[in-house]
Amino acid sequence: MTLQVFDLSAIRSGQAILHPTSLSIELGTRIGLVGSSGSGKSTLGHAIVDALRAQNKRVAHVPQSPDEALDPLRSFKFHWHEAERALDLAHDVSKQRTLFSALKIEDADLRKRPWSWSRGMQQRFVIAMALIGTPDLIVLDEPTSALDPIVAAKTMELLRDHLADKDVAMLLITHDLGLATQHVDRLIVLDKGKVVEDASTHGILVAPKSPAAKSLSTHRSWLSLPC
Amino acid sequence: MKIVIGLFLRASVVLTGIALATFALLWNAPGDPALAIALARYDAIVTPDLVNEIREQAGFNAGFWPAFQAWFGPILMGDFGNSSVNGRPVLPDLMSSVSYTFPLGIAALAIGMALSLPLAILSTKRPGGWLDRFAIAVASIGNAIPAYWLGLLLILLFAVQLAWLPAMGARTPSHAILPALTLGLGVAASLTRIIRSGILEARGQSFLPALSRRGVPQNSISKDHIALHAAIPVVTVFGLELAFLLEGLVMVEVIFARPGLGSFLVEAIGARDFPKVQAAVLLTALIFVVVNLLIDLFYKVLDPRIGDHDA
Repeated sequence: MTLQVFDLSAIRSGQAILHPTSLSIELGTRIGLVGSSGSGKSTLGHAIVDALRAQNKRVAHVPQSPDEALDPLRSFKFHWHEAERALDLAHDVSKQRTLFSALKIEDADLRKRPWSWSRGMQQRFVIAMALIGTPDLIVLDEPTSALDPIVAAKTMELLRDHLADKDVAMLLITHDLGLATQHVDRLIVLDKGKVVEDASTHGILVAPKSPAAKSLSTHRSWLSLPC
Repeated sequence: MKIVIGLFLRASVVLTGIALATFALLWNAPGDPALAIALARYDAIVTPDLVNEIREQAGFNAGFWPAFQAWFGPILMGDFGNSSVNGRPVLPDLMSSVSYTFPLGIAALAIGMALSLPLAILSTKRPGGWLDRFAIAVASIGNAIPAYWLGLLLILLFAVQLAWLPAMGARTPSHAILPALTLGLGVAASLTRIIRSGILEARGQSFLPALSRRGVPQNSISKDHIALHAAIPVVTVFGLELAFLLEGLVMVEVIFARPGLGSFLVEAIGARDFPKVQAAVLLTALIFVVVNLLIDLFYKVLDPRIGDHDA
């Protein structure tokens, strides 16, 4: 099955920040959405999620910051139950424990409210919440920007393992090409609200065509960095 | 627990301060209290001897601090002293007046909430729409109308023209309808605007889009998240609303000739009945402090981040 979205666009205060964009995403593929700050990555991510939800597809979304994902007045427990209810799932303690121990938040107090955990822990909780069900697509908006390098790498590994045997597509929004090359096989390059290049990760790194892709891949040394 | 003790300590400091300030104000008020008491008591030509006797009796000759101690000491034991006009203990009279005022205040608050909550929710369905503008207009007009004018209008309409409801006194529960309505409409007017802006502000919270992307139904988002965030400013102004209400109660009770705390206070001031005035002020302050104490505690439950620094 292929997920398809057509003519997504976004205009904010009279300015087009996302020009009409259509995309198709094969189930089970890993796609990276890259581009400089302000190129419309997050906006496209939101538009994809909203469009697929409107098509009754199951989508999970991890926003850039935990502040955009958690209500400061509600406990973690409340968020977890709410997320389960939203997916029509019964409370599954063993699944919760598995995800929490994989993300190293198993000892944290779930009765607390978001601001009493560190931001990195909050972010890992949000990622765990996104993995409760089995979505068709999971959109991760800079999922590791609040995490230290070791936890970030562990988190991405966990995600990879979790998605390995499932027909779940992943869209990874990032400006970290090093991260993208390790986890995705297709790259979409965004510049000023337009998709300027859409090819295999290897292809773009070896022979970038658009100026945006070229400027991104001049940081090729990132490839050799252990991440 | 530490927080609770701290709050109580603060409350008792505030109450002592209020007792001292009221006493000092009355002590230094212009005019001769002894003469006023003599006039209130005997209602005829009074001789200087009589006034002097009253002055001695009431302790006005003793000086400020001894007089303050003589008044405040027994209060700590629950004894509010005797009326300097009729000599009866103040406390029973005060309590019987409160028994008229308290239900009226609660009824006014209930009317205020019952009107403002649906109005605010309706107006935020489409911010800027005609319903919203209408609600804001009604609320602004309601805020601008003073209670004594609205009270008289309601009397004219419902008591004089239509003769549906009694205007004066407090014999039956139906006597409370017009005063409660007068106060309740004022409360509704200010609460509508606060609840409305609370809801609109809560709707702008940055985490809300993520909730709907997570598949949480809109109803649950409104009920579980927006309502909670909108409640914070409403709780904040509730303390102020109470001040407005107490102020309005004094006026409304006089207009509708109800024997409540307001009438008690106005009569006592007229007669320079210091023990009564002070007891009424102290009780009002106590209500105010207790309500604000409860609000502070409620905050600690709702959002413990609030007030962490200034406590």
